[in-house]
Amino acid sequence: MKSEQTLKAPLTINWAINNSCNFLCRHCYSRSDTAEELAGDVLCAAMKRVAAAGVLSVNFGGGEPLLRRDLLDIASCAAGCGMRVSMNSNGYLLDKEKAVALKNAGFSKVGISIDSHEALAHDRFRGVAGSHERAVNALAWLREAGIKTSISTVICTFNHEQIDSLIEFALANKVSQLNFHNFKCSGLGLANKDELDLTPLQWQEFYRKALRAKEQVKELDISLDDPIIASLGLKSGSSMVKGSVCGKLSLNIKSNGDITPCGFIPVVIGNIVHDELKEVWANSPVLEKLRHKTPTGKCASCSDYGECLGGCSARALAMTGDFNSPDPHCWIP
Amino acid sequence: MPKIYRNPDVMWREEDESRAQADEALEKGENAEDIGTSLLFSDGMMVTLNVLGTEIWKMCDGRDADEMVSELLQQFDVEADVLKNDVAGFVAELAEKGFIHYEE
Ligand code: SF4
Ligand code: SF4
Repeated sequence: MKSEQTLKAPLTINWAINNSCNFLCRHCYSRSDTAEELAGDVLCAAMKRVAAAGVLSVNFGGGEPLLRRDLLDIASCAAGCGMRVSMNSNGYLLDKEKAVALKNAGFSKVGISIDSHEALAHDRFRGVAGSHERAVNALAWLREAGIKTSISTVICTFNHEQIDSLIEFALANKVSQLNFHNFKCSGLGLANKDELDLTPLQWQEFYRKALRAKEQVKELDISLDDPIIASLGLKSGSSMVKGSVCGKLSLNIKSNGDITPCGFIPVVIGNIVHDELKEVWANSPVLEKLRHKTPTGKCASCSDYGECLGGCSARALAMTGDFNSPDPHCWIP
Repeated sequence: MPKIYRNPDVMWREEDESRAQADEALEKGENAEDIGTSLLFSDGMMVTLNVLGTEIWKMCDGRDADEMVSELLQQFDVEADVLKNDVAGFVAELAEKGFIHYEE
């Protein structure tokens, strides 16, 4: 019904409430981030303003949220303002009591990062022995507590051919959603890119198979958050915006309150403590550019540009310094 | 006739500025059909509604379709039959997306 109109505020915010982590993931983008953390009361005040601006949901991530001692208070504050609260966690610190406490604090959904159905492969990638088992247990505790669960898997060289096993694993653990995250070359991910990132043709192959699986497996919501799949003919219709969601539906907030378009675009456009969210959302020149990208290089003659809009702006920026460049994952010759 | 309820998992909000724009257009007797004045958002799926859609959505709180039509008739200048059709079609679409459910 409309597409060009800019919303009054983001629908959802990915909020890094901390950067500390008990894991050593090789693809992580935030452990290399040393930004300070906002105090609980400052965070809560900021969340109240964000909710009043119209934001509907917040997702805590960045570091490991469970390492923040006041996580429950922060979540209650966000939920108390009427926002839907979720987080991404590695699940290591979860047990039955914690899961119930999360539910009581207002969490409606928790995503657990699991990179392989095989425990050893996951543990090696995450850098912590026994982490797979604890992640799987976490899913069960959460479900029992009445929290929706999802599995988040970062697709990279060691798991891209395991789609079917990953789906089976997700079904066996009764999660409602399986998120295949595309590998982002920023933060530590950039340092480990050569070893972890797929080639464009491998991405094409992966997405072809993943889209087919998404069509076939009805019991599970398989989510592929990558604009680059537009050229494979996925109907986006009115369900989502075209191209990348950053600056159109969502924003990212770092642990020190700095606002960036997305967790993988290290361009600060304001600070949630000092600036007015709506003002940043409406007037940031960076967001303006992200919303109105200009096709360059092969994108200029690509018939899918209207849907793809050059793919992931973060990857383009990380590799070329310009988010108008074609997504480095793009397989179109 | 079944009562219609919003699915509580769906998040939604009105876009005040667009709404003001649409109201202004309607006042002048212009077409506001293409102005999205609210959006619904659920698990990565987003739907934008125009003024009429928004008003119907807001009424999905236990009313049935007939009740909706008679209330909307007081608000909008449309033929009863046309409106009845529009409401039925729209509600069916929402149901198909899982955004609402029926209760007897
Ligand atoms: S050439 Fe550009 S617009 Fe076309 S699919 Fe690749 S990244 Fe997307
Ligand atoms: S820039 Fe890339 S990573 Fe960031 S929201 Fe857009 S598609 Fe996702």
